[in-house]
Amino acid sequence: MVGEQGGTRRMLTGNAAAAWGARLARVEYIPAFPITPQTEIIESLAAWCAGGELAARFVTLDSEHSMITAAGAAAATGCRVFTATSSQGLLYGLEALWTVAGWRVPLVMVNVSRGLAAPITLEPDHNDILAARDSGCIQLHAETCQEVLDSVLLAYRVAEDPRVRLPVIVNMDGFYLSFTREPVEVPTPQQAADFLPEAQGEPEFRASRPLAQGVAVLQGALYSHFRYQMHLAQEAALAVHEEAAADFEQICGRRYGAVEAYRLEDAELVLVMAGSFATKARAAIDVLRSEGKRVGLLRLRMIRPWPAAAVAAALGHRRGVAVIDQNLSPGLGGILFQEVAATLARSARRPGVLRSFVGGLGGKDISLGEFRHVVDVLAAASDSEDLHGSELLFTEADWQQVQSLVQLAQFPETQAVPSDDGRSEVRR
Amino acid sequence: MLRIRFHGRGGHGVKTASRIVGTAAFLSGFYAQDSPIYGAERRGAAVAAYTRIDTKPICERGAVAEPDLILVVDETLLADPAAGVRVGCEFASALLVNSGKEGTALATELRLPCPILTLDLTAVVLAVVGRGSAQSAVLGAAACALAGLGPLERVLEAVQRELVELGLEADEQARNLEAARRVYADLSAVPARPRLPASGQVELHRPTLAKGAASRPIILAVGNAAARHTGRWRVFRPVIDQEACTRCGVCFALCPDGAITLDERAYPVIDYENCKGCMMCYQECPVHCISERQEVQAW
Ligand code: SF4
Ligand code: SF4
Repeated sequence: MVGEQGGTRRMLTGNAAAAWGARLARVEYIPAFPITPQTEIIESLAAWCAGGELAARFVTLDSEHSMITAAGAAAATGCRVFTATSSQGLLYGLEALWTVAGWRVPLVMVNVSRGLAAPITLEPDHNDILAARDSGCIQLHAETCQEVLDSVLLAYRVAEDPRVRLPVIVNMDGFYLSFTREPVEVPTPQQAADFLPEAQGEPEFRASRPLAQGVAVLQGALYSHFRYQMHLAQEAALAVHEEAAADFEQICGRRYGAVEAYRLEDAELVLVMAGSFATKARAAIDVLRSEGKRVGLLRLRMIRPWPAAAVAAALGHRRGVAVIDQNLSPGLGGILFQEVAATLARSARRPGVLRSFVGGLGGKDISLGEFRHVVDVLAAASDSEDLHGSELLFTEADWQQVQSLVQLAQFPETQAVPSDDGRSEVRR
Repeated sequence: MLRIRFHGRGGHGVKTASRIVGTAAFLSGFYAQDSPIYGAERRGAAVAAYTRIDTKPICERGAVAEPDLILVVDETLLADPAAGVRVGCEFASALLVNSGKEGTALATELRLPCPILTLDLTAVVLAVVGRGSAQSAVLGAAACALAGLGPLERVLEAVQRELVELGLEADEQARNLEAARRVYADLSAVPARPRLPASGQVELHRPTLAKGAASRPIILAVGNAAARHTGRWRVFRPVIDQEACTRCGVCFALCPDGAITLDERAYPVIDYENCKGCMMCYQECPVHCISERQEVQAW
């Protein structure tokens, strides 16, 4: 089906959209390692490489650690690299991620968010991707399958810009996007080529020309210099992304910002979220608006670089702001709340109340009722004193479910219950 | 918005069915969204899939808790609370069960707050497609008919697109299309049930620190769950020939589910309530004294 912007409109999963993004970017090297719920991405790319639709070298590696190292090394030779991972895989490759970011090489990786073990789950939350928060990689968090595809293309423009030269991670939620099909407009190859030309510039690394990168500096001042350069390159990426987004809009008709506002103009109370659960917030906001509540949404799309100015401008003058983090730093609470709060603490105008919620852990639904609760808490709060940490969005119905499943697993026939002093007592 | 929920077991094709409906709706110019949900992938495990259809962009994601239509491939799932077939059925305008029983008889048996329909999809698949085939085409066609998606040609195009995607051979595609055609002709659209807007009132639960093991993800019961017997998952049953067994203990050491214990004479004993039939013991026994028997009750 021909789409509104001249591309082809199809039903695609988030995983298929990611693969299409890489295909349209005409990537040349794909180091891969499978992990649910990401594997379909590399399966699609492998099939296209085998079928000749994509002229890339597809290589399976022995682990995510090798995979990310190979991706960085290949990117250093100037070829366009794509890779993908998820959850435990991302964490396994984490050391290499810091390293290749420090090499200052452009590559694009898709992470399909999945809650971290233990306990094990396949469903999403953002603790995996936020573990990579300080790696130096740029992070774009997608809400829809369309945005996954478009963000991969945008990511190459940002990563390869000489002012930036950093890896970009595009994040999507497992299941809620990865395995969910929705209509996606796939740009034409011409549109993609107009937006994203061939990788520019002389490759620094070539065969038979030994060079060194990621060298040892063993000296604080040098180390500080190079690390701070990464920080400055991240900051530069804000403007580079804006430029790329403007070009993208010209060619493909869709516009992406570092943050996205929904019904924010006259909103007194604002929810702040990232990822595909923001879609649920939109539906809830429509209902609450129909009841006369002036509620809006600020979606954080770019987490690194942190769009401080946009966040401050969108939130500073509100009556109440609630950050709903789909992640948990045990002992602290929601992670993005800390960043929003730090930004607002330094800005000229601050919202009347600021509250922190944690929801959607391990893919748990955030229902209309839970959004309503958040808004009620904001509306009732009168001062900004709140040192209670983050409130978990968890209903009585969730609690009933937990109790019945725990019963199922630990039926008290032969149940060993460790007593509080640590010794086990066995009951029969 | 129209919300459809499919229930089946791994291998039945509910994911493809949800995609057939999504594609049929998409080809008809609607906004559509389809997605499956499953745990660790395993043939025979309970699986659900969802399709949402609307005239405007869809602002819902994930599980369908308030379905307009429910389709169930395997009747036995109705008895498994963990499969969640009954969740939100008070919203449904129809629950279609793949069964040879009369709809009215099943309705009396189940006593659910929604209309029950039955259709023997398996019989159609056996007659037209052949033994051991997935039910995706007939299930997708059934959902399209109940949802009022059409005409038939567009539904069949959707079926074909999804079967091509799966890599089915041309003759198998043709047989599935014929089966889909029959099922589509047997059913007609059910009118949507008027529903009140959701109040969206929930009671929040404030967690407190649980005592001892209750705060940790740990199962202290034998097997994988005290009240859920994973022995039903088996396709093959390992059987030890005690005459030939040398009591080497290899099977006991290697069983990944702890389903083998040693008796007082050190002979291995299999706990069939919890043995999942992975057949690791069968493969590893050095003297090959473990045989495999097909379970009669295979899913
Ligand atoms: S079949 Fe697998 S689960 Fe069953 S007893 Fe043998 S090793 Fe254990
Ligand atoms: S592996 Fe075979 S021989 Fe050894 S204890 Fe088990 S059944 Fe007996």
